[in-house]
Amino acid sequence: MVDALIVASGVQEVKESLSAVSSLGDVEVLFYGKDSDKADEVAKLGVKVYVLKSQHPGALFNAVKKLYDEKQPKVIVGYGTKNNRDALSRLAGTYDLPMATDVIGVEFKDDHIIYKRGFLSERAIATEKIPYPAIILINAKVFEPVQREGSGNTEEISVEEDSVKLLEIKPKQLSGINLEDAEIIVGVGRGFKKKEDLELAFKLAELLGGQVGASRPIAADYKWLPEDAWIGISGKRVAPKLYIAVGISGAPQHMAGVNNSKIIVAINKDKSAPIFKLADYGVVADLYQFLPVLIKKLEEKKGK
Amino acid sequence: MGDIVVLVKPSLNPDMTRSKPDGTVDLDAIPLKLDDIDANALEAAKELKNTLGGKIIALLLLPWGPIQKRTRELKMVTQEALARGADEAYIVSDEKLLPGDPIITATVLSNAIKKYAPSASLVLVAEASIDQTTGQIAGRVAAKLGLPFISYARKITIDGNKIVAERDVEDHIEVMEASLPAVVSVTQEINEPRPPTLLQIRRAGKKPQKTLSAADVEPIPERKKEPVEYKILTVSRKQVIIEGDTLEEIAEKLIEALEKEGVL
Ligand SMILES: Cc1cc2nc3c(=O)[nH]c(=O)nc-3n(C[C@H](O)[C@H](O)[C@H](O)COP(=O)(O)OP(=O)(O)OC[C@H]3O[C@@H](n4cnc5c(N)ncnc54)[C@H](O)[C@@H]3O)c2cc1C
Ligand SMILES: Nc1ncnc2c1ncn2[C@@H]1O[C@H](COP(=O)(O)O)[C@@H](O)[C@H]1O
Repeated sequence: MVDALIVASGVQEVKESLSAVSSLGDVEVLFYGKDSDKADEVAKLGVKVYVLKSQHPGALFNAVKKLYDEKQPKVIVGYGTKNNRDALSRLAGTYDLPMATDVIGVEFKDDHIIYKRGFLSERAIATEKIPYPAIILINAKVFEPVQREGSGNTEEISVEEDSVKLLEIKPKQLSGINLEDAEIIVGVGRGFKKKEDLELAFKLAELLGGQVGASRPIAADYKWLPEDAWIGISGKRVAPKLYIAVGISGAPQHMAGVNNSKIIVAINKDKSAPIFKLADYGVVADLYQFLPVLIKKLEEKKGK
Repeated sequence: MGDIVVLVKPSLNPDMTRSKPDGTVDLDAIPLKLDDIDANALEAAKELKNTLGGKIIALLLLPWGPIQKRTRELKMVTQEALARGADEAYIVSDEKLLPGDPIITATVLSNAIKKYAPSASLVLVAEASIDQTTGQIAGRVAAKLGLPFISYARKITIDGNKIVAERDVEDHIEVMEASLPAVVSVTQEINEPRPPTLLQIRRAGKKPQKTLSAADVEPIPERKKEPVEYKILTVSRKQVIIEGDTLEEIAEKLIEALEKEGVL
């Protein structure tokens, strides 16, 4: 028996998960996916590591189930990545385990767990209580990663995939820009009518020494920007000192990703857009008229 | 050949979040709406219906009380699901199932599928909801029904008894193939749901719908999740609208304000 099983596909994820379960005793790790060659790095954190080379969600489910059956962990923990959610929701369904996702705080009591997570698309915070055994999927960058040296061993595990076949993997175009580290972000939304028009946002960002991020439809649906520009509850969570939302309505799922910004500016032509209630400074104007003027003024200032 | 079941959640509308004087969420005062991505799932079902040849069955479970107050809202969500393309609807509504707990919800929905839609060849679920956003119902239901599962589908095609879906993972797309029947969760990108037309809304009222109680969908597992507190997240932004006679003036004032804040 172990106290906790971490299910992870990255080293940082293991460090933060270890931090989340630091009040528990014995912890083991199931490390999977295309970075599974980093398992030795994980073992150096002083934990036993089971390595699954596959990234097939059915294989992951079978591997987690196998370890769960053998080890009977009280807690399973990891990030809420899509593969983790896929495999662990199936484990939850198999054994009727409680499962909390997007967790931002957790306490392991003697006979129950209390956790906090977003509710109502993060308009509210829910505190809820569940019994052991349970699955806890944490948000990235909430728990301080553990720093420690130890020596654990690694052991490869092999399982069958399930009946679902992985036919092909198609890469996504990614910019590689680390929005999480940007000091200034210009966010673009559906107020832009076509891809070429984003040039205005890029120009503004360049003048400010910032980066361009986007609402989900711009990045994931229209694909006008790479998907790593996608900000929000299901994308990136950013915390710049200045976030300028242009042509973004202010849906709670988007704002969940920017609420930690120091200052939020909204530029929107609809004066009743919800974003004006969620911003520090608002400009009610057509972006096509206002951005060129703003850019000109900033250029003038720079020129001086 | 087979029916498509679409799980449709009557969710609390986050845009209508209401608070009590003590800063906690006034759950009973927040109205229900048909969950956002469930509309995408219904649209996807409409597109796949001709290929599969069966009907579209919407399945709803009321997750929030009080029941008396929710009757009208639940009716409207059901009506909308029917207007958005479902041919019939099953609605589970029972005090015993409140508030929704993923273990109970998934079990009840699975039991209902087995009993009322035994010939379903596809179960469509949304990737996540707008109130709870747990994103775990699809996987639980797949496990309970013992069916192949594809999560986060952005694109679905059906060929004979095979389904091929493009599955969205963070940094790549996986093309997955499963045999039917299967459970599939869809993302917002799968389509652009069309708002129902007046005619569709009118027709919806005539489509069959059946309300079920807990007794119809037994066995019901034990509840494991207990609410402790739901607290409103207060955003305290300045909410200053910058005004001026010309855009030039507004731009200058904005720059000035941001300089004062020390963020430029
Ligand atoms: C489970 C779930 C998860 C989600 N996750 C995310 C997420 O992570 N990130 C995210 O962004 N969204 C997410 N969404 C989607 C979210 O609900 C909204 O649909 C989305 O954020 C809207 O994007 P938008 O503001 O660009 O578009 P819209 O809501 O269409 O807003 C466009 C705005 O532009 C304004 N506008 C139009 N023309 C002009 C002009 N010429 N000048 C100035 N303004 C103009 C309009 O007034 C409007 O306010 C999620 C939804 C769900 C259900
Ligand atoms: N009470 C419910 N009734 C019908 N479908 C539901 C219910 N709860 C969840 N679902 C389905 O599961 C999806 C994800 O919900 P959630 O697990 O709350 O994020 C929803 O969008 C629905 O498709």
